[in-house]
Amino acid sequence: MHHANHFYGHAHVLARYAGLGDGHPPRINGYVQHGWNIGDGLAPGHPYVERTPSLLWSEQTRRRAWSVGRRNLVVIGAPFVYLLAMRAADPPPERREGTIWYPFHGWEGQHVRGDHRELIARIRDTEPGPVTVCLYWHEYGMRRVRRLYEDAGFRVICHGYRGHWWRDTDPYFLDKQLGELRRHRRVASNRLTSAIFYGIAAGCEPAVYGDPMVLADEDPTFGGTARIRRQWPELHGEVVDLPTAVAIARDELGTDHRCTPAALRELLGWANLQEGTS
Amino acid sequence: MTTQTSPADRIVLPGGEMLAWSDLPEGHSPAAEPLAALAALVVPAGARVLVAGPHDPALLDRLAHAEVTCLLRSYPDGVALAARAARVVVGGPAGLADDERFDVVIAGSGLDAVESVEGARLGWGGVLARLAGALRPGGTLLLRVDNPVGLRRLVDADPWYARRDDHAWTIAGVLDTDHPANREQVRDRLAQVGLHTRACFAAYPDPEAPRALIDADRLARHTTSGLFDALLHEACVDGLATATVLQDPARLAADALHAGLGAVLAPGWVVVASRQPAPDTADGPYAAPVPLPVALSRSGPDGEVLEVVDDPRGWRWRLRSADRRAEPAAPFATREAVHRDTATLDGEPVPEGRLLRTLLLDAALRRDLHTLRRLLHGYAAWLMGQAGPDGTLGDAAALATVDTVLVDEERYTLLDPSWRATVPVAAEVVLARGLRRFATTLVTGGYAHPWTSTLDVAGLTVVLAGVAGHDLDRATVAAAVDIEAAVTAAVRGLGTEGRAVLLSELRSVEPTDPPAGPRSYQQLREAWLRQREELKRVTALLKWTEDLLTSRERALRRAEVTINLLSGSMSYRVGRLAITPARLARRGARAARRRLRDAMATKPKEQQ
Repeated sequence: MHHANHFYGHAHVLARYAGLGDGHPPRINGYVQHGWNIGDGLAPGHPYVERTPSLLWSEQTRRRAWSVGRRNLVVIGAPFVYLLAMRAADPPPERREGTIWYPFHGWEGQHVRGDHRELIARIRDTEPGPVTVCLYWHEYGMRRVRRLYEDAGFRVICHGYRGHWWRDTDPYFLDKQLGELRRHRRVASNRLTSAIFYGIAAGCEPAVYGDPMVLADEDPTFGGTARIRRQWPELHGEVVDLPTAVAIARDELGTDHRCTPAALRELLGWANLQEGTS
Repeated sequence: MTTQTSPADRIVLPGGEMLAWSDLPEGHSPAAEPLAALAALVVPAGARVLVAGPHDPALLDRLAHAEVTCLLRSYPDGVALAARAARVVVGGPAGLADDERFDVVIAGSGLDAVESVEGARLGWGGVLARLAGALRPGGTLLLRVDNPVGLRRLVDADPWYARRDDHAWTIAGVLDTDHPANREQVRDRLAQVGLHTRACFAAYPDPEAPRALIDADRLARHTTSGLFDALLHEACVDGLATATVLQDPARLAADALHAGLGAVLAPGWVVVASRQPAPDTADGPYAAPVPLPVALSRSGPDGEVLEVVDDPRGWRWRLRSADRRAEPAAPFATREAVHRDTATLDGEPVPEGRLLRTLLLDAALRRDLHTLRRLLHGYAAWLMGQAGPDGTLGDAAALATVDTVLVDEERYTLLDPSWRATVPVAAEVVLARGLRRFATTLVTGGYAHPWTSTLDVAGLTVVLAGVAGHDLDRATVAAAVDIEAAVTAAVRGLGTEGRAVLLSELRSVEPTDPPAGPRSYQQLREAWLRQREELKRVTALLKWTEDLLTSRERALRRAEVTINLLSGSMSYRVGRLAITPARLARRGARAARRRLRDAMATKPKEQQ
């Protein structure tokens, strides 16, 4: 229903898992949480249609969403978890090496304030192996920012365009991300974000350090980065206890809440489709 | 044990009879059977028995081994029951001869129903004293006492203090200190007239028609008993199926059980008391009182009474000979989907554990998906583990639902395996039936749960199956509905027409419907609230869709304008002219392909 369901090819991943093929996914009867979230699972300022189902990643997010007045909530786990299930039989990577580093991004309407050079220096001092920097498409398109990381000797990549208003979504965004994550031994960022949890689930050792940077117009409703550091201190630092991180990622991505294909079709409103994917 | 005198000669009229009155129900009251079974248990063969107050004729039939005197206030009732008793005294309690003594006195309708409107009133205490006085030393009194703050009154849509029916010439209530209002007061009052309380049974769901009698002390103690949970639920659902109530009696009964208040909130109590002093000499069959069961319950369309008895090896099922059918119906003798063989239950241990439905409801309310997953995985694995090589389940396992399965740690057991499927059922259909029953309870009962309101009952069943680790489709759920109708029709003894109505009802259940069974004000209101919320959701969705449509139509118009502009340009025209031969060739190829296909299609028909 909402175009945010198509961000990062989420709807495409879910449709593939539900057995609807690789085509354009049908409308979802509800909002799929499209990123790790310390709020109610919906993006700030998201136009909300009353009692439309929120399809959330974790039980903690469900409780939080209920407490702020959201109803019709169901925990289905992150689309990334469905991708992992579909690609569980992939041959293991020949060699995991280096770090994939995700500098924190805002979305197109936001601007990050922070010093990239300082961050680059910190990454160089910390990371033991080769570094791949993954930029959000918005920053990847900014030649100046990209050059900064390239000049530092980092490999600079972008997983693709997340899409907007149902257009130009890269249906294999998450597949590309999973492929990259599985090539690296570590995943790191200057903020605790979806990518860190995806990396942990894909077998990387996580790290969160460096200037978290500040978003212009950052919504303070749910406490921002300060709260994230208070609530998940064990995931911050250059070295993080892996078993703890794996357990937290399992909860936050809702790995145990992954639905079966038939159950997912029911929950997304795909059980009685007039047409299949196109 | 009746004498050879004619029925009319057995009626004694000492005065105080009510000539234009009847206490007996018009039809047979099957719900009285557990009480009748208990009465038969406490009456030794050859005993002199006083049955005080109106009782179902079936109870008198169970006392054929004794010499029965009935004490009634209604003359028509006396005439109706005269053939079943040695003597019928029609009048108030004052009509009993002072020197008459009985081995057993049964007052299963309570003491208020013993008094006539005629003559001086004795009151509850006066009638008790009179009946206690009629017991020989060592004799037994079986007495029903209604609970003024019991479940039946708590759920009643009509206030007890505003009764207008013909029985309500006086209303007995908790305000009357002559009436005992709790178990302790009953025990004290009995002690005051020299009676020792041997046992007290909680009577559910209606004191006037108890379907389950459960030992009150054990009911208060065994708060997590799956057996008691199932007995109370079945008694409330079946016993009050047509009642209009304030709230779901089965829910309240289960809550009372878990809070240890099952005996305190029982609709009534049936007390077994002995006259003191105890006999110091062995006097025939009355010397050793029979051990009393833990519970008695009516089950099945034939009204068999199953007992649970305390045995050194644990609780066991017991089926008395009077409740045993001569021959269990052989599967081939019936076209019903299920048949019952209670004889095989006799002597078998009663499994321990909590009722699966209760555990699932609790986990759903707490949104505890981990526990739901563990329980449903275990339930599905237990079912599938019993399936044959062809993937079907037969006999009792084919009928296992969340309402009949007990869970003890990780062990799953069928509480009552006497119901058997006539033909094997696919294991996945059995699972779907169990889950669909739970889904129906969850949504129509108005329970909070971890899923969305957009799911219908079949959809929620599929989701629950997913939680259980099984990817069921809607066709399996539809097959489960057919089985549900066939099984329920057989259990309730419905004919073809009744079964068709039931099937139609089951198929049309919506999440915004109130639950089947008692019309509960609370649940009707809850169903209305759900409907209102769904209307709000759909209205908001419609508005969103309208807005989106407007925005997309605007985008389409912009695109059309652009296309029109481009269509009129010189470069478009030149380009179109350039590709005209290709377009014509493509059109021709399509037509040729179509003609070829038509020709191929008509050829086989001609050959036929």
